Amino acid sequence: MKKLLTLASLACALVLLTSAQINAQRTVSGVVSDSNGEALIGANILEKGTSNGTITDLDGSYSLTVADGATLVFSYTGFTDTEVEVGNQSTIDVSLQEGELLDEVVVTGYGTQKSREVTSSIVSVKAEDFNKGNVNDVSQLLQGKVGGLVISRPGSNPNGGFNIRLRGLSTVGASTEPLVVIDGVLGGDLNSIEPQDIASIEVLKDGSAAAIYGTRGASGVILVTTKRGEAGVSKVEYTGQVTFETSDQRPDVLTSDEYRNFPAQGQDLGGNINWFDELTETGISHIHNLSLSGGSGSSSYRLSANFRDVKGIAKTTGFDRLNLRGNFSTTALDDKLKITANIASSTEDANLGFNEAFRYATIYNPTTTFIRDEGNPDFAEWDGYFQQRLFDYYNPVALIEQNRRENEIKTLTMNIRGDYSLTDDLNVALFYSQQRSNTILGEYFDKNSFWQGQNRNGLARRRDDEASDQLFRIEANYATELDGNVELKFLAGYEYQDFTFQGFGAQGGDFLTDAFTFNNLGAASDFPNGLGSVFSYKNTNRLISFFGRVNANIDDRFFVTASLRRDGSSRFGAEEKWGLFPAISAGADLAKIGDLSGFDQLKLRVGYGVTGNNVGESLLSLQRFGATGNFFFDGEFVSSFGPVSNPNPGLKWETKNDLNIGVDFAVGDYKLTGSVEYYNSTTNDGIFSFTVPVPPNLFGSTFFNVGEINNDGIELTLGYLIDLGGDKTWKIDFSASRWFTPTLVSLTDENRGVSLGGFIDGANLGSPGQNGTPLVRLEEGAPIGQLLGLVIDPDDPIDDAGFWNFVDVDGDGTQDDILDRTIIGNGFPDYNFGINNTFNFGNLDLNVFFRGVLGHDLINTFRAFYEAPGQISAYNVLASSADIAELKDQPQFSSRHVEKGDFLKLDNLTIGYTLDSGSLPAGFSKIRFFLTGQNLFTITGYSGVSPEPRLSDSGSDFGSLAPGIDRRNEYFTARGFTFGLNLGF
Amino acid sequence: MTSINKYIKILIAALFVVALMPACTDLEEEVFSEVTADNFFQTEDEFISALGAAYTSLYGYMGTVSVWAAQEVSTDEMVVPTRGPDWGDGGHWVRLHQQLWTPEDPTVNTTWNFLFGGVSACNRLIFQFEELQNPLTDPFIGELQALRAIYYLWLLDMYGNVPIVTSFADADPTPPTNSRTEVYNFVESELLAALPKVTSDVSGATYGRVNQMVVQTALARLYLNAAVYKGSAEWAKAASATNAVISSGNYSIEPNYFANFNVDNSGSSEFIWAIPYDAVFAGGLNIVMQTLSYLNQETYSLAAQPWNGWCTLEEFFNSYEDHDLRKGQPNTEDGPSTVRGNFLWGPQWDVTGKKRLVDAGTLASGVDPDGEPFTIRPEINELFPEAWREAGARNTKFEFEIGGQPNMNNDYPLMRYSDVLLMRAEALWRQNPGDAEALALVNQIRERAGVEPFTELTADNLLAERGREMFAETVRRTDLIRFGKFLDPWFGKDAMDECKEIFPIPKAQTDANPNLVQNPCY
Repeated sequence: MKKLLTLASLACALVLLTSAQINAQRTVSGVVSDSNGEALIGANILEKGTSNGTITDLDGSYSLTVADGATLVFSYTGFTDTEVEVGNQSTIDVSLQEGELLDEVVVTGYGTQKSREVTSSIVSVKAEDFNKGNVNDVSQLLQGKVGGLVISRPGSNPNGGFNIRLRGLSTVGASTEPLVVIDGVLGGDLNSIEPQDIASIEVLKDGSAAAIYGTRGASGVILVTTKRGEAGVSKVEYTGQVTFETSDQRPDVLTSDEYRNFPAQGQDLGGNINWFDELTETGISHIHNLSLSGGSGSSSYRLSANFRDVKGIAKTTGFDRLNLRGNFSTTALDDKLKITANIASSTEDANLGFNEAFRYATIYNPTTTFIRDEGNPDFAEWDGYFQQRLFDYYNPVALIEQNRRENEIKTLTMNIRGDYSLTDDLNVALFYSQQRSNTILGEYFDKNSFWQGQNRNGLARRRDDEASDQLFRIEANYATELDGNVELKFLAGYEYQDFTFQGFGAQGGDFLTDAFTFNNLGAASDFPNGLGSVFSYKNTNRLISFFGRVNANIDDRFFVTASLRRDGSSRFGAEEKWGLFPAISAGADLAKIGDLSGFDQLKLRVGYGVTGNNVGESLLSLQRFGATGNFFFDGEFVSSFGPVSNPNPGLKWETKNDLNIGVDFAVGDYKLTGSVEYYNSTTNDGIFSFTVPVPPNLFGSTFFNVGEINNDGIELTLGYLIDLGGDKTWKIDFSASRWFTPTLVSLTDENRGVSLGGFIDGANLGSPGQNGTPLVRLEEGAPIGQLLGLVIDPDDPIDDAGFWNFVDVDGDGTQDDILDRTIIGNGFPDYNFGINNTFNFGNLDLNVFFRGVLGHDLINTFRAFYEAPGQISAYNVLASSADIAELKDQPQFSSRHVEKGDFLKLDNLTIGYTLDSGSLPAGFSKIRFFLTGQNLFTITGYSGVSPEPRLSDSGSDFGSLAPGIDRRNEYFTARGFTFGLNLGF
Repeated sequence: MTSINKYIKILIAALFVVALMPACTDLEEEVFSEVTADNFFQTEDEFISALGAAYTSLYGYMGTVSVWAAQEVSTDEMVVPTRGPDWGDGGHWVRLHQQLWTPEDPTVNTTWNFLFGGVSACNRLIFQFEELQNPLTDPFIGELQALRAIYYLWLLDMYGNVPIVTSFADADPTPPTNSRTEVYNFVESELLAALPKVTSDVSGATYGRVNQMVVQTALARLYLNAAVYKGSAEWAKAASATNAVISSGNYSIEPNYFANFNVDNSGSSEFIWAIPYDAVFAGGLNIVMQTLSYLNQETYSLAAQPWNGWCTLEEFFNSYEDHDLRKGQPNTEDGPSTVRGNFLWGPQWDVTGKKRLVDAGTLASGVDPDGEPFTIRPEINELFPEAWREAGARNTKFEFEIGGQPNMNNDYPLMRYSDVLLMRAEALWRQNPGDAEALALVNQIRERAGVEPFTELTADNLLAERGREMFAETVRRTDLIRFGKFLDPWFGKDAMDECKEIFPIPKAQTDANPNLVQNPCY
């Protein structure tokens, strides 16, 4: 009863703080090693029964301030947990025994759990397993490391984001990006965090793990935990690296000689220019990282500064970024109160460049005689740059040299958390965070830029966007033990988060001089005639949640977790403001229950969870009126307002019901470990914009919750440690997943008269000449990602007259009507896998990482547009045009341009050398050199620039429903070599 | 700790929770950058702004795949050939010209959305203005009723069988199809009902809006095509409606035909109803982009590169006599023509008229017959796939501005006095082939064009004269159907079945509304 009463008073944490008692505390330090005396780096030390803990540093040493009478729990992956009572010791050196993998602490939603107690699908990746080299984005750290998680960036654009996709597709209209939680802050930006500051990343893959995040959990959750300082040990570390990147794959176009000798007559201007060479260069990037950590008593800190100067392989692309972070923690009130605070800032200046230049470089005439001839009067209007008047055809070098597009991004994140131990078993916490991100874009198109700019006599754009949010949370944790060796842990919490997005911008043209670029919009002369324009906007939304969870450990044999979240969002319709998201999961360690010899662990687990996916925009449920143009009234134009949406007060989240079955196993004294998972999810109430009849509706489309998607797959993770004798080891980590193509079961709601009508086609190919050419069919009862097109006769692709020989699919006697379009591929990958080999040979270490994706088709749009020989009259063509020299027909998309995207890539190879601690110069605690090669070779049959799966189509509003389209404005791929140095002081 | 202490704690905790919860469970959504019905409709300026929504819908009329395309490219006066790599676009331009359109084609759906978007805007505004009960807005209600009837007149003409929806608040979400005759009767009764309610003012104050003369002209069009729309002719009513316009004395023939189509054509004495397009405030007229070659950017120093698409058919081009002032004169190897005309053809020049335009991409055999020099020729070698870049005289009826933007400043006449004269002539001639007034009216038009008067009216010469005068004014399809010529074969197109005289109901609409009935043969 006492405990219940105390539970009931949890919410009032602040009041309770005043009644704290003063307890003595002491600092313990020491070294953690394995049975051979080798230091264990990153071993966990936890004060039992609290969340107070630390990890060992590179020397295996640690320092931790604990309460008197505390017990320390030492744990490390692959080793048995060891508990030591502190008593009056101040130095505790521990030698861990190999063999117990399972007590690694895993970060879960709003807490941590011992690995062996985890009953849902959570993958933890520690810092030492991250991808290395020129890594500028946190998602890149995980590429290929987590089964079921596909991270894709087809080109090597330093400013391009990665597309992150967990477990296929389970939404029709909402976000496919996992929720990112950085040190407890929901909705963090992976770009703003420095890879070197991260201690571990956990990926919550299934519904039972993610349901505690309610309407934000349906696409999975990525939890990032940053490194912290340790009391007692003051450490300075420096890592510096320099990377050289060169252009790797490019479209195979005709060289100037091939162009001249091509049977179909092109326009021979007499010169020789390789436009790709003119557009690219060796990108030299360097990264410097300095960190300082330490602390005393019960306080610790870690400060880090990171500077990077990154240059892409395309001229005028790259960025500078300075990241600063400080993590602090301290205790007060007799160690009952623990305060942790983090502050991080990121400032970035980016040159975005122009991806269009890649397309124009592909088609620009290789016999052009000059790129720029400043004195040439015939080209004076373009400042001497060579230009010709053809449709959609611009000198790519002029494009990147005459115009500029720059971004300035500033991000500031702060959070503070107070944990208060009311009793040994009961802990309450308050958490507050604030994030703010400003992006200022500047674009200027020169007065003499033929591509853009000349038409406006100089055109400048400026926009400033700000995103900010604040989060407040109360948490209470209670742990108890029942008779029969049953441990119970309870969590209850309330969370409030609000978001504000606002910004303004302007564009104007007609400048006297190019000198201002975008820095003096007031000098634009075309505001009076209405061509210049300004805008501003603001929108907000709020999320309010209550959540709770129970964990039970029954005799270390059975484990059960149940959670519940009630989420409310201002974005939902008036009738559907609140949703409920339950989850339950259970596991049993058969090795312990059945006493199975041969198995160190054999845990069977089953989880079921309900997660949601929020509406992607604010105000979608409301009837709104906005400016719809200008109305000529009484002799002058007045602004007119009309509807811009239809109301839907019933608009709500997508609901995903997810079943996950997994087996974790370890055999041979933990030499071989692994897990197998199967998941099957059904998504209902998909958020989709439907065409609605007008009238009675005011606006031609409305967002409805309709439909059902089924999605399932299998994942396999294996780790195998091979002892090569002496101090040599070889560790193989293999992760793989099979995505069964998600199925659109239905997208019809007869009650509301909302229907897809069987199918809709979308993702238009585009200009020139191939508008009205949808590439994707979204069809009820069929897989998502179907590529649509005419089928070319594989045996006889071109008829005697020189025209495409399409198959008359519908048998009506015509070969290329729209009814002859059929399904000619699927853009979803079937398999993706990563094989990581880590060799340790004493001082020398070697990491070899292969990555592959299989089973996805790609539409090579370069070929669809630029492979027809006749095109040479206007554009350069692909070298493969020579194979179809008899073609007289125009470019027309067909099954011919759909290719298999299967690939295997040597993604990362790192050789490191660490100096013996005995041979270090004075003042150094560590010296390590490393050399990394990235994207060293790729085995693929794909003829385009990159065979990476295209998970989402940026060229159309079909977005993630249109995977598999390799569009023309894509940055080329790069191969990189990095030399780095890691110093400890 | 004493137990009293504990109770105090619990009490405080409970108060804390109670105080916190209501404040922090508020999920009302705030709107910052748009307005809702709650904070709109307060002042006279806002009423006018709201009324504007019914008219700004009109700007989509000339969209590249809207009424303009449906009414023109489906006929013998306009075509969008597939010029090698350009304008293939999944074949829908060719299908539109060959009358082989499908319910999924973009023009079919966009046009429907445009027209019903207009209907819906009118319905909403009528409902909202009626709710207001404000004397300021009462005149708007009749105006909207008439405008809605005109949107339905277009629907009647193009789709025939469509649902009639007039209510807003309690509208049927899946309204059933009405027959073409029902739609005809609806349009007639609505126009007649609205006529006394709309303003009789014809001045700059009502320019671009529906007044009584607009309603009369709409009635004239309805009656003139009654035989097509409902199976029985109404020639006398057509003659009477046109007479109401002519006898009002508000309009007169411009001495210069092109005064109606020049950049500054606003307020032409022939304009009964025009869309007041503007490069900045009311974009949507971009014939300049559709028809000119990318090379012609230099001819007019245009802000953007045109698309080299739309042109006229050679047969239609040849229906003009060479001295017809409406036709214009060709450019020559000596320089550009200085005479305004409906068409641009011959050797092409830059803005100075001194530099000959050269197409760098035409060396390959077959692209253009004469290689690099760029010479627009009225002949079109084929509809697809390899139409010359030079093929087809270009549509310069609406003047192109030097230094112009993609959106043109010319206003677009939806109803023009010359058309009313020709409609009256036809209505009279249909009743009496020897009608003298009819012949005089047609000859009035011919006289201005500098061509010899007719001595008698026949179906062929009346249709041809309407074609020459009303080129590119979106009446050709309706005219051809009324004269029974729409299904005839012409360049690139075979003879067609009668059901092609109306468009199919778009697939997106039949998907969304199961009560819609698809038109025959689709």
